[in-house]
Amino acid sequence: MEVVFVPSLSPPQTPRSGVGGQAIDLRSPQTLHPALWLGHQLGRSGVHAVSTGFAALDAELPGGGWPRRVLSELLLPHPGIGEIRLLAPPLIAAQRAGRLVMVFDPPAALSAAALGQLGFDVEALLVIQTRARVVPGSDSLWALEQALKSGHVGAVLAWLPPRLRAERLRRLQLAAHNHDGAAFMLREAAAAGRPTASPLRLALQAGGADRLDVRVLKRRGPPLEAALRLELPPVLSGAARRRAEVERLPALQAATFVSFA
Amino acid sequence: MLWIALHLPSLSLESFVAALPPAPGDEAGRQPVALVDAHRISAANAAALALGVKTGLKRATALALAPRITLGQADAGRDARALLPVAHAALAFTPHVSIQPASGSGAASIVLLEVQASLRYFGGLEQLLQRLRRTVQPLGHAVRIASAATAQGAAVLARVEPPPHCPDLAATKQALAAAPVWLLGPGKEHWDALQGMGLRCIGDLLGLPRSGLARRFGEPLLDEIDAALGRRPDPREPIVPAPMFESRLELFARADSSEQVLYGASVLLERLVAWLSAKHAFVRRFRLLMHHEGRWQDSERTPQATALEIALAEPSRDSAHLLVLLRERLAQVQLPAPTLELALQAEDIVKRAAPNSELFPTPQNENEGLTRLIERLQARLGADQVQRLSALEDHRPERASRTDAASAALGPVAAVKRAAKRATRPAGPSEKRREEGDFDAPSRPVWLQPKPEPLKEQRFQPLLDGRALRLLCGPERIEAGWWDAGLAERDYFIAEANDGALVWIYRARLPMSASEAGEGGWFLHGRFG
Repeated sequence: MEVVFVPSLSPPQTPRSGVGGQAIDLRSPQTLHPALWLGHQLGRSGVHAVSTGFAALDAELPGGGWPRRVLSELLLPHPGIGEIRLLAPPLIAAQRAGRLVMVFDPPAALSAAALGQLGFDVEALLVIQTRARVVPGSDSLWALEQALKSGHVGAVLAWLPPRLRAERLRRLQLAAHNHDGAAFMLREAAAAGRPTASPLRLALQAGGADRLDVRVLKRRGPPLEAALRLELPPVLSGAARRRAEVERLPALQAATFVSFA
Repeated sequence: MLWIALHLPSLSLESFVAALPPAPGDEAGRQPVALVDAHRISAANAAALALGVKTGLKRATALALAPRITLGQADAGRDARALLPVAHAALAFTPHVSIQPASGSGAASIVLLEVQASLRYFGGLEQLLQRLRRTVQPLGHAVRIASAATAQGAAVLARVEPPPHCPDLAATKQALAAAPVWLLGPGKEHWDALQGMGLRCIGDLLGLPRSGLARRFGEPLLDEIDAALGRRPDPREPIVPAPMFESRLELFARADSSEQVLYGASVLLERLVAWLSAKHAFVRRFRLLMHHEGRWQDSERTPQATALEIALAEPSRDSAHLLVLLRERLAQVQLPAPTLELALQAEDIVKRAAPNSELFPTPQNENEGLTRLIERLQARLGADQVQRLSALEDHRPERASRTDAASAALGPVAAVKRAAKRATRPAGPSEKRREEGDFDAPSRPVWLQPKPEPLKEQRFQPLLDGRALRLLCGPERIEAGWWDAGLAERDYFIAEANDGALVWIYRARLPMSASEAGEGGWFLHGRFG
């Protein structure tokens, strides 16, 4: 019987034929090494993933969380649909570990008070504006590439320029090999039709008040048909949430709340 | 005593080539270059020698042989400026470093090191010589190294082919006896006479009566032989690095682009690093002065020199890092006129222990790497594009947080301190509140509009993108700022947009600001990210 050769990876606890007298069952090659999986299975990445903080999402992501050392691409129609609340757990975990979180080109001003409410430590957060001044002969992704390549940043959250070419993303993906942590690339929803170098691509869509619909467009594993509906940490109070549950009618008139002077 | 002599045979040529504009690609080294002293060629590089240009030729003859040759003026001052960094670099091995003074046979090009006391630390002469070569290599000079028991002996033997290594006095004497007599400084003018008498090497002189030698060829010749053989005291004054660094480089051709300036500056940076390592110090701030061409100075707007001040968050003496910072800064500077001369000055230095080189990453070197990363980003993007948020005590949301330029050094250090604090305190107050499910503090949106966006109103309902917003929560009244110009009287609501996203809107209470917005006085102020 043949021994399946996995180049450059040393398989842990691999039963080798002839050595221990055990034969390899070629019908289940995924037992050979963590980097192998079958088409209908979820990929198990060799490196330890960062938990998303949402059990339903952890279950659907290869490795059980956000992958390290690769880019995770998130497509969203516009800012403000709950993306920060979705990404807060891994970013806060990086800050807890004493590492810095870098935010590149946020689409609007970030509110320190709101980040504090979500559990962020605003002192361990750096905001880098790369498009404020155009440096001749350089690209706006230079700073992002440097940060990923250095490997000293705990987590990276970046808003990429629209209509980014695939090879530019591929370059970032290569730089991310040195980055021991999660790297989130936020892009416009229209990018879904174009190829990507990152192994994980999710589309986000608001699913109602304090809810987020997540569709897994690309992952190491079988395609996921249905969207996941995640319950985000609530912004609304309990009473307001119940109010939001009522049928989507213009039930509440502004006049019921405001008394004009 | 064991003396090492570092001889730089083509120092004057190399110090001249450093000032030449960088040759494109494979042209480097193939361009013939020669130095002229008193209208005669005094030094020529390999490409020029191949074309037949020899030392001693007249300038016109050299030009006839090689029309494309670059001729430069020999300059003892320039050579001395280039030799000093070599001596600084050698100070890493012993405090007894001196420069052999210029003798009759040419300009000073020998650095002497007394290394007897350092041998054991560096693991023997072999290892020490290897490290010495590695240390002076970035300065870009060809080096010949000899060692001998006396300083003068080492200086003479460094010019012998091949340079010998003599561990004791007897070996030194033997090697010197075989050395040609013209290597001695004072014997130069008598060389023809010595040759005519059949005295070719120093050993021939040693056999002759001293009084006759002194009468014919002068006392200095005998003194030098005695010093080389250790028969005469030969005190050397060890060099002491200057308290502040200043080195300049006169460019051969005017530099129009910052790339050309950078090439010259990299030579100066290597000198700075040699000086820093001699001082056991790290630079915190240095200045590059670019002197401009005189013709342009007639115009009143053109300054005589442009100064580029570079401050480092973390003191450093890594020439590659300094060069990267200089390149980013130079790329942004618009030079008013071509540059003729560069000068590098540094006085703000920090003394501290050299960094340990670690095999595995530690928080210490991660911090350093992070500081360097931030420094690089700041140098390229501008210091105010790397920002840090801080929360302020104000009820008005637009004034409740501030962004200011982050300082590179403070950040990582603070982060580590905080992490240590975290370890002792398990959960922050906000965390605890979240766990208890107690939400008395009203939520704030992550994204704030830079300027509140007026919303249209239809049937008493605010519209966003033409769709009605559902008010879910509110009102929350914020009334503040009557004491300053930014009076805010608003009722805030959390509303759900058509696609389910939550937005933060307010209705201005003042009729004045309401009129600005049109009918309802509704504004979009933030989005819940």
